[in-house]
Amino acid sequence: MDNKEIILNVEKLNTTFISDRKEIKIVKDVSFQVRRGKTLAVVGESGCGKSVTMNSIMRFTGKNAIVKADSIQYNALKDGKVTEYHLESIKEPNGPEMRALRGPDMSMVFQDPMSSLNPVYKVGDQVAEGLLQHNKGMKKDEARQKVLEMFRKLGIPDPEERIDCYPHQFSGGMKQRVVIAIAMICNPELIICDEPTTALDVTIQAQIMDLLKELQLKEGKSIILITHNMGLVAEMADEVCVMYMGRVVEFGSLEDLFDRTSHPYTRALLRSVPVLGLADGQKLETIPGATPNPADLKGGCEFADRCSECMERCREKTIPMFEISPGHRVRCLKFDSYPEVD
Amino acid sequence: MMIPMLLVISFIVYYGLQLTGIDPINFMVSPEMLSSNKENVEALRESLGLNDPLIVQYFRWLGNILHGDLGYSFDGSSIASVIAVRLPYTFELAGYSLLFSTIIGIGIGIISAVRQNGIIDYVGRVLAVLGQAVPQFLVGIILIQVFSIKLGWFPASNRVSPDATSALADAFFHLFLPVLTLTIGMVAVLMRYARNTMLDVLNSDYIKTARSKGIPEWKVYLKHGFRNAMKPVLVILVFRIPALIGGSVVIETVFSYPGIGLTMTNAIVSGDYPVVLVTTLIIAATMLICSFMVDVFNALLDPRVRLGE
Amino acid sequence: MGETTSIKDSNKSASSSLFKRNVRKFMNNKLAVLGLVIIVVITVACIIGMIVGVDYGTPVLTDMKQAPGNGHLFGTDTIGRDLFARVLVGGCYSILIGAFCAVMSSVIGAILGALAGYFGGKVDMILIRISEIFQAFPQLVLVMMLVAIVNKRGLGNLLFIFVFTGWMTTFRMVRNEFMSLKNETYVKVCEAFGMKKSNIMFKQILPNVMSPIIVSTTTNVAFFILQEAALSFIGLGVADSTPTWGNILNAAKSVSVVTNQWWIWVFPGLAISLFVLAINFFGDGLRDVLDAKQQ
Repeated sequence: MDNKEIILNVEKLNTTFISDRKEIKIVKDVSFQVRRGKTLAVVGESGCGKSVTMNSIMRFTGKNAIVKADSIQYNALKDGKVTEYHLESIKEPNGPEMRALRGPDMSMVFQDPMSSLNPVYKVGDQVAEGLLQHNKGMKKDEARQKVLEMFRKLGIPDPEERIDCYPHQFSGGMKQRVVIAIAMICNPELIICDEPTTALDVTIQAQIMDLLKELQLKEGKSIILITHNMGLVAEMADEVCVMYMGRVVEFGSLEDLFDRTSHPYTRALLRSVPVLGLADGQKLETIPGATPNPADLKGGCEFADRCSECMERCREKTIPMFEISPGHRVRCLKFDSYPEVD
Repeated sequence: MMIPMLLVISFIVYYGLQLTGIDPINFMVSPEMLSSNKENVEALRESLGLNDPLIVQYFRWLGNILHGDLGYSFDGSSIASVIAVRLPYTFELAGYSLLFSTIIGIGIGIISAVRQNGIIDYVGRVLAVLGQAVPQFLVGIILIQVFSIKLGWFPASNRVSPDATSALADAFFHLFLPVLTLTIGMVAVLMRYARNTMLDVLNSDYIKTARSKGIPEWKVYLKHGFRNAMKPVLVILVFRIPALIGGSVVIETVFSYPGIGLTMTNAIVSGDYPVVLVTTLIIAATMLICSFMVDVFNALLDPRVRLGE
Repeated sequence: MGETTSIKDSNKSASSSLFKRNVRKFMNNKLAVLGLVIIVVITVACIIGMIVGVDYGTPVLTDMKQAPGNGHLFGTDTIGRDLFARVLVGGCYSILIGAFCAVMSSVIGAILGALAGYFGGKVDMILIRISEIFQAFPQLVLVMMLVAIVNKRGLGNLLFIFVFTGWMTTFRMVRNEFMSLKNETYVKVCEAFGMKKSNIMFKQILPNVMSPIIVSTTTNVAFFILQEAALSFIGLGVADSTPTWGNILNAAKSVSVVTNQWWIWVFPGLAISLFVLAINFFGDGLRDVLDAKQQ
């Protein structure tokens, strides 16, 4: 693995939740890489474990979750030198090691801007808080200037006045810009966006996505974009990771996924996207069945009950991952002639 | 809003007093004046306007009250002089109880939420359950039995001892047990609210945002968690003040503590209606001030209310 | 598969299995079951004592202030009456007061809350203002005030005063529920069909509010028992020819009784605390079961 090219490498991440003395595994053996300066889209239905995966990496999961992985390696690149951080071995989720990384190295943009901002503090103070935390000597005025700069960069009008306003005085799109400001203020290399526009109007969605794209191109940030919107994936992503019921079922570049779609679930996903220009009478495809309850899964392929190409042996054991071309992996027995990868 | 309510309440109480059939002259003039005017009682009545319609009498009485003329109790003493001494004592009792139960109740509640299922959480929950089942006056009796009779650490009654060396020490020893009794009752309720509110707040999304900035855990709990839990908890606190006042009425009897509550109780038992009237009014006024405070707190602590949503 | 069950039958079996599930869930909550057991045991003991006709009223001056023993299970009180008998009969009255006032105040609060919530407007405004005036006082002070005005210390008067000053919390709760439920579609359908307003309020909407009402009535039983105890303790409750747990405790106003005749306040005190604790546990268990059902 080239540390300069790969900014985040996750191998066999497993997250288990304990509730009422029952253990439910939400994330199963998830592995993927994020290339520096590129956008990785993580797609899947609601409840497939995308958010939990990202929360596990950032260790936001809370006391009733057990996070285990062979490796969660973050490679920081500063002045040409690479420093490796082995996040899987950090014991304290909110201890000083994790906290040192949150902000200047890795940050997250959350889904619901309405509830992601603290209602009782001014917006400017909330953005400056992270800045002051990681720059111990900085004075309040200096921080304020930086916040104003960020507001201008993100297109928030009247930054001088807005900086002293409270969250409830902003619209949804503006609130999300503030959340992005919080995520960006310490200039992190890796930004994880958890469905950043799902709660917003379609027009605002476009604005925010343009903003993120611009940030990536201009400043070379690496972005992980969680979404269930395939259209967004087509516009933003360089690489795609498809998840179903806690497992990665397909991973590859944008072209791999759209032109050489392999996994039956990915294919079904792409077909179910409403596209302008559907022929008259062409029906919108849906995936038959419903998302199963994670506690009800029996074994074998998780998608078996809803798959049109399911075979007997699909239900027997956990399906391994096969590499069908460099960088393109599929978890499906249809491709078992190809080499297995971990 | 407060003033009309106070007017309505005072009128209802005044009317209720009239219903009992006592002669208002008995509480409007001092006993000396009454005895010296035996022959001219009718003229006195006329001069006091006691033949006027009830409404007029009511407003005149109200005017008197606002001028500080609280009338006379049936035992001859001026009500105002009694109140002047005893009201501060009740404020002391209620005030200290409020202060300590706030600190302890909110403190334990918050710690219980941050360290769920820890020792403090467990002990707190047991105490809360017991505190809500055992009648407050019984707690007082038990405390007297243990700390006053058996151990002799604190006096069992009253507010001042004639042979006290320092006013401060005197106050401390007399107030300790009654305040403790009231505090136990308040803490039992407050602790649970504080814990639940804090838990709700800690589940909010903005707590995750706070953590994503890399700030230390104590700041997350205090600056982001507690600050948001404060408002609902303080609102609940202010709503519990009527119960505190009601509780102190009973506790004053348990400890023979000379406050407004004991005054009112004795007045009712002995049928001293003028005193009942005035004490009820004082308590009503205090309550209305408290509910006004709720609005003030709401605005102070929540910018959404202050600046309008 | 030949037989078809009618819809009515399958609904019946569905709701009975739901009931069974709720009962089972309740049974799992050991504290709640313990609470229920204690409530039943104490209530039955008190009723038996009342029916059997234990002597709670005869003062035997030679036996005054005796400690437990010698034929007096709980000892005797300050004028020689058997304390055990007084606690039993007192329990009857205390529990009666608690239960009656809780039910009545819930009924009145629910009716007023339904009216205020459903009709809104002027009706609501008047009722809310009235409830605010009542709630401006500590409930005990309000009760004391009314006791002063009414002046006769009978049981009936006490019940009336308690209910008169205790309907507000149920009122608020029911009103809020009605205000949110009256905009539900099924209500609009009933209105469109011209159903009588009283029918809509009490046959359509009210059943949905029953669960919290039942839970709060249960906890109110405890509240009224405690309130009666406090009132009787300070001497403003029922006259002591009719024993209640509270007015037995009235003797404990004197410090010498507290020290020297501990049984006079320990036994009734224990009775009250145990009973209220049991009600709290039972009420919690009830709430767990009923709340889940609403989801």
